[in-house]
Amino acid sequence: MKNRASSHLLIIFLIVGLQVAGYFAVHRAGLLRGYETSVIGGVRDLLMYVPLIALVLWLSRAKRFAGNWILFTTAVLLFSIGMLIQYRLYSDPEYNSRNRAEARAAKTDAMRTRYIMENYDPAKKQMMGLPPTPAQPIDIESLPRKPSNYTLWNALTSSYTWVPILSFLAFAIAYSLCVHDGFLLWLQRNSFIVVLVTLVPLAMAVITSSAGKALGNMTPWEPAKIPFLIGFAGILTARYKDLAETYWGIPRARDIVPLVVMAIIPFIPFFALKDFGQMLIFTGAYVTLYLVAVRRWPQLLLFVGSVLLVISLLVVGALPRDVQEKVPLLPILARPISAALPARIQQRFHLWLDGFDPPSPEVSWWKKDYQDALNKDPRLKELAEQSPAMEKTINVDIWFDKLAFQPAQAVFGMAAGRTTGRGLGLGFPELVPIADSDYVYAAIAEETGLVGGLVVILAILVFISAGVRTSLEARDMFTKLCAAGLTAVFGFQAIVNMGGITRALPMTGITLPFVSHGGFSLITSFAMLGMLMAFSHRSARDKMLAAPVRGVSVVEAVQ
Amino acid sequence: MPFLLLLQSPTPTPVPPHVPEWTSALLTLVYVGAFLLLILLLYVALLRYRLGRARQSGAVPDDLPKAVKKRLGSTTTNRGLKALRWVFVLLAAGVFGFHIYWAKYAESSNQKFQELSYKDLRNRRISESTLRGWIFDRSGRLDRALALYRRESNGDIVRAYPMDKAFAHIFGSDRGDPGLERALFGVQSGAMPEALQVVNGESTSRKANADVRITIDRDLQQTAVDQLKGKHGAVVVLNPQTGEVLALYSEPSYSLKDVEDEATWIRLEANERDKPLVSRALGAYYIPGSTFKTVTMTAAFIAGLQDTQFTCSGGGYVAAPGANAILDDGGAGEVHGTIGIDTAFEVSCNQYFAQMGVKLGAQRLKQAAQLLGIGTYDTPVEALRGRKQPEIWNASNDAIKRALAPREATIVTGKQVTRYDLALIGYGQGYAGQMTPLQMALAASAIANMEGKLMKPRIEFDRPPEMFKQVVPPQTAQRLREIMGLVTGGPRGTARGVFGPVKAAGINTGGKTGTAQKVIPVYDPKTGQPKTRHRVEKDNKGNIIREYEEMIMDTDHPRIDAWFLCIAPLERPQLAMAVIVEGGGYGSKSAAPIAAALVLKAKELGYFNNGIPQKAQSKLTTPAAPKPRR
Repeated sequence: MKNRASSHLLIIFLIVGLQVAGYFAVHRAGLLRGYETSVIGGVRDLLMYVPLIALVLWLSRAKRFAGNWILFTTAVLLFSIGMLIQYRLYSDPEYNSRNRAEARAAKTDAMRTRYIMENYDPAKKQMMGLPPTPAQPIDIESLPRKPSNYTLWNALTSSYTWVPILSFLAFAIAYSLCVHDGFLLWLQRNSFIVVLVTLVPLAMAVITSSAGKALGNMTPWEPAKIPFLIGFAGILTARYKDLAETYWGIPRARDIVPLVVMAIIPFIPFFALKDFGQMLIFTGAYVTLYLVAVRRWPQLLLFVGSVLLVISLLVVGALPRDVQEKVPLLPILARPISAALPARIQQRFHLWLDGFDPPSPEVSWWKKDYQDALNKDPRLKELAEQSPAMEKTINVDIWFDKLAFQPAQAVFGMAAGRTTGRGLGLGFPELVPIADSDYVYAAIAEETGLVGGLVVILAILVFISAGVRTSLEARDMFTKLCAAGLTAVFGFQAIVNMGGITRALPMTGITLPFVSHGGFSLITSFAMLGMLMAFSHRSARDKMLAAPVRGVSVVEAVQ
Repeated sequence: MPFLLLLQSPTPTPVPPHVPEWTSALLTLVYVGAFLLLILLLYVALLRYRLGRARQSGAVPDDLPKAVKKRLGSTTTNRGLKALRWVFVLLAAGVFGFHIYWAKYAESSNQKFQELSYKDLRNRRISESTLRGWIFDRSGRLDRALALYRRESNGDIVRAYPMDKAFAHIFGSDRGDPGLERALFGVQSGAMPEALQVVNGESTSRKANADVRITIDRDLQQTAVDQLKGKHGAVVVLNPQTGEVLALYSEPSYSLKDVEDEATWIRLEANERDKPLVSRALGAYYIPGSTFKTVTMTAAFIAGLQDTQFTCSGGGYVAAPGANAILDDGGAGEVHGTIGIDTAFEVSCNQYFAQMGVKLGAQRLKQAAQLLGIGTYDTPVEALRGRKQPEIWNASNDAIKRALAPREATIVTGKQVTRYDLALIGYGQGYAGQMTPLQMALAASAIANMEGKLMKPRIEFDRPPEMFKQVVPPQTAQRLREIMGLVTGGPRGTARGVFGPVKAAGINTGGKTGTAQKVIPVYDPKTGQPKTRHRVEKDNKGNIIREYEEMIMDTDHPRIDAWFLCIAPLERPQLAMAVIVEGGGYGSKSAAPIAAALVLKAKELGYFNNGIPQKAQSKLTTPAAPKPRR
């Protein structure tokens, strides 16, 4: 397959075709559960490909795009999987409606009716007051169904319509800007100012936010990732040669201090926002950039060693008490750490390492939730006071109803999906709260199984490879580092998200790029894609321009 | 060519769409498979991707040696970037490894995961949406269903119990310990098929939802309900030849409909006095009184002591020096003289069986008790624990056994048991004071079995009979039946009068009356709760050691429980039953008439015609199991 717009356009058309097939699967499955999927929503989703195809044409015709199309196609592929899963979830009245209990009852009723029609013989049906038809597979069209109440007005005002369109716009703007040398030069020169200016709206967000969310359920600080990354890349571009000169393995203070300051700035607002997932990603991205730019063995060891030390200290601090006591000296080390860890981190670590075991009701971060649940139900409280065994049982119940509910249901969903999944619309991903954004991987794993998970993971790896490729080809340090940083952010975000759901890592509440439904996260992802593609185009254009002059190009290539 | 590749996507061989899920499952497979191919295509494209047209235009001369070409552009920075790619490959492989673990191995190897799978809401959804099977009585007739689904006027499909209270203890509700309903129809989400299985048309077993026919006779059960109305007590009717449970009822019972409301459930659960949630037939301990003489007599026959004669005197039997004299119910006035075992059983002589208990000794009693399924323990503390005894049942799975598990009837046979204790055990007092109605029915059923076997009770109609123990040889069983026949048919039999109508109907029966006094707490007539008094214990300095509430026991007015064991017809018994009425007075006055009514009803239902009730022969009008789904 050649790197041409037409080839990739063809793949996008194929994706559209598959998307239609997927929607049809969801539609049929919906009928089995007694609800109708929304045609308007489906058409709206398919119409999203119109601007995407327009973007391809715009890039190839108006912008003479010469870079790597794979970046774009892979992003579209991930985006289409996300749209399908979201369509499936939001078609489900139980996931969608305000009155979940009623929707659930209606679904159960539809499935029961079907069970009777298929399995009960005429005599039994007659006894129940149903027409005495023989037991036979039902005609799916004849089942009673709840029509979709998704109107055109809903579609026009929905964030599902506007967020992607805004994302495409962000993509076009980011591409148009970053393709110009002048703009990039300006960015590089003023990187520190860019970071400082970004802090102003962020500070506002910190003030107005509550529980790590603002404007309802949004994270409007998501786009701040880009200026922070550019800032770090800019200062690293200016200093990387000096940083490489070390004295006993340690760079000079006047080189390292500005870099450290620049690195710490983003952590302040994110710490205040309690967005630990974002901090994790930034740590990963900064470490990556530093190691790529300054590749000296002592520094590498120092850096990697200290990161590993911090992580292992965190893990040790969060280990459950009984595990700690098995290893000598560990409790002495762990006690001050676990005392210093914020409750939220302790809770996430417990869910990660020991998610099926509730903590004792005395544990500080669990006590309040536990007591609240008891106070709500006086009978439960009475039972809990009867005996320690009863208290233990009740603790398990409350644990699985509250904190562990979402992660546990996600894990059960993955287990239910097995290899090929339950089939689109045939599983129960609607049981997992916010399965459309943070937990989208759990929904994919339940309905399409390991194979679906493999598709997502491979797509992300292809995207990362293409991003690394862009970085490799970049011909100046700034774009090289920017491209590497953007790729690393994508990669870490995906790994941290999927790792959180599969319990390879603690759950942090960040989204899966392109797949999850998340307003600002999707916009940011597409803007970052635009930047990456602009860098790719610049390298290709430079190379083409340089090509006729033999000697120069070889020298350039060595750089 | 991408087109060709797509056409070759590994879609499984098409099977005609039998299940409605088929289309969705197939499309899912196509979707995922095609996406996998697309990704691989993109990966190949990435490998072949060359920047711009640089190579063709000769930016890198073609004649450079390979080693040099390789080093072109290989700066330290670029090497770092290439390492970054591998880092991500490893991380992604790790994450996917965890996914594989959950999807493939957790269910079979992670113990925590298995234990907590009941927390999986999918299980609940599936069991809600696939209906439970219907439950039929032994006739298997659709119009006599015991648990079924009904469609209400508003279109809701609800579980209905036409006999409601009569089967509440057997079926159980969704609260509290599981009964048959939950034991028979538990569903696991693991049983659901995945997309590939649906497409291949593999049927998934829905065994959990098949209809079930139980051995209980709806009419007999109804008779038991009518007879016990307004009393506190229980009835257990078994078929001694097969172990089938024909009726099993405890009064007071509760309505399965009503306990759907949690408040009602809590109110019933808190009712200490009537305990309507407890199945008395399986879970309540009673002092067996004279009915235990059946066990002692069986033990005597096993030990070969059946021909021993004892004297029943006016002074009573003094088992050990200083012990209380054991008298008969009529006090010093009731004297039977020197008698054999058959007369002693007929007139229910306490002194005889007390002496027999002593003569048998702990070891022989223990041996006989174990043959009859009674737990034997060395100390009273162990015996009082009252464990559940699921293994007594003959059932197709453990869930059913657990759901119907009786509390184990116990006697104490350890070394500390004195002669006086043995004497008390001999006629059903003292350490023999923990019997359940089911256990006593089993004791009668062992005698009633033509071959002297104790059959395990069973409730599933299609289950083959299973033996618990060979208790006595067939001839001995025959002899024992004859002795039991004296109680209802002999000249001095204690239940002779009550069984007059039964005899008149041409049925020879056997039985045993029993009466036991039980000291019970005093209940507050207003609240229904047991009355308590506050007790404070102090040491000799006057410090309080502990304070507690003590139940006030009404020692002056013990409750007199009436028992009756019955086997019928004597020649080839089809029924072995135990009846208990709490506070019913003498066994022959209140419990025996109930047994007589049940025997007459059984005759009316045709149980005594050639030994096989006619109804059971009638064909099942409905195919019980739903067809396997393809």
